[in-house]
Amino acid sequence: MDGGRRSLAFLAPSGMVFVGLFAAPFLFLFVVSFWSVRTFKLTPGFTLDNYAETFEKYGWPLAFTLMIGLSIALVTTVLALLFAYAARFKVGRFGQAMLFVCLLTLFGGYLVKIYAWKTILGTEGILNSALVGLGIIGEPLTVFIYNPGAVVVTLVHFLLPLAVLPIYASLRGVKDITLEAARDLGATPRQTFFGIVLPQCMPGLTAAFTFSFLIAAGDYVTPRYVGGPYTSMIGDFIEGQFSLRFDWPAGAAMAFTTMGCSLAIVAGVRALLTLMRPR
Amino acid sequence: MTRAGDILWRGFAALVVLFMLAPLVLVVLFSFTDNALTNFPIERFSLRWYRVLTGNDEFWIALSNSLKIAGSVAVISTVIGTLAALALIRLRERLANAAIVALCFPVMLPALVIGIALLVFYNRVGVPLSVGTVILSHLVITQPFVILIVNARLANFDFAIVDSARDLGASPWRAFWTVTFPVIGSTVIGAALIAMSISLDDFIITFFTIGSGNTLPTFVWGKVRTYLDPSINAIGTILIALTVGSSALALWLSRYRG
Repeated sequence: MDGGRRSLAFLAPSGMVFVGLFAAPFLFLFVVSFWSVRTFKLTPGFTLDNYAETFEKYGWPLAFTLMIGLSIALVTTVLALLFAYAARFKVGRFGQAMLFVCLLTLFGGYLVKIYAWKTILGTEGILNSALVGLGIIGEPLTVFIYNPGAVVVTLVHFLLPLAVLPIYASLRGVKDITLEAARDLGATPRQTFFGIVLPQCMPGLTAAFTFSFLIAAGDYVTPRYVGGPYTSMIGDFIEGQFSLRFDWPAGAAMAFTTMGCSLAIVAGVRALLTLMRPR
Repeated sequence: MTRAGDILWRGFAALVVLFMLAPLVLVVLFSFTDNALTNFPIERFSLRWYRVLTGNDEFWIALSNSLKIAGSVAVISTVIGTLAALALIRLRERLANAAIVALCFPVMLPALVIGIALLVFYNRVGVPLSVGTVILSHLVITQPFVILIVNARLANFDFAIVDSARDLGASPWRAFWTVTFPVIGSTVIGAALIAMSISLDDFIITFFTIGSGNTLPTFVWGKVRTYLDPSINAIGTILIALTVGSSALALWLSRYRG
């Protein structure tokens, strides 16, 4: 077998998984978003009603989801930048340990982390019992959980390792010798940071922001566990269309609307960053 | 930078590490207590919640499903992902990069979208939901990681030694097992362990594609929705041990062995 044909044969199984289990279902879901449900049966056709209904009924949850997703992505990215900067330049050998913690917690315990925050922030939870035990507060407080703040804390915690790694990867490309040169030429730490470090880690920052935003905006488990009744995110409603109401076309239209809006926002943020970059 | 500034940075770094680790550490800590609620004060350390768990048949079924799924996903995605990486490294760079971006696309979507797309698809094609459909579904999100990890290792692999083996008469099969695999083997096993932890940890895609059974994460989900049961801390500890343990092993294999 010649090289080209062997390459093709080697790529075939992965390609089949990609096409058969991702591309085809994804495109079919898009098609279904134009179908309708009649007497509990999925009926092929072409209607834009599902999209119209998404904006009419779920416009507010959608806007709220995008806003909270943006806040989470912003907090995560800034915290991850500071963390990666400290690990790369400020803390010496402890930096390796910080990175190790990120890699260890990256693939473990999505549901466990959310559950952990529920037990920490709850009225009878760890934080309240610790504060009462230490005599700092007299009565347990209810302000920690079942609000948007709890969702932000929980998702920032989940996304942080994911955001640190690409930023750290681009900070590794910043040479110590460049920084020393800048300092020798009289640049202040602030000038060095904004003139050298920040521009060089832009690719890592945009990757971190994009991942954090897309995952936060698509999450439904966190708001359901710790968000309370007034933190309804769109993912929660999408899941409901599939597990409770069995209105798949509506759920599909909601999912594609959310993805479209999210991608538009990511594209907007990226364009803004390109414009802001000094020549 | 001044001395005070250094202390400030160290303090910040320590606080963030604490923020990252504390929730997981607390789950492990409370799994070994006698407390009926997950809060302070801790009265007594005990294995009470592990005994509750091991006495529950549903737990054993969920654990065995989880291990079956994660094991199969690790083996299948490692074989097909490594084959793909071996093919991609021989392609022209731009073509290979385009293929990698495409294959990694599923990882950038919310798991919810992949879950509902597969649910609708299996339903339409007429495939009954089972542990098998979960295995197939997990391949979509684990094979990108295997491809990325193995591809990164192959980027500085010298293919001249494989060509030498071939020139000396080794079959492609033999050249792979005697030359290529000994070099990239630890990375491939590391990739398999990462695929395993992703599969073990997945809740959302599993939830939509399993039908009526349970894995450890969907078992936890069912329990949290009804009431806060401290035996969840024990399941959480087992999940953390499995996923963090295999990640640590993967890191050790890929960083310190080649």
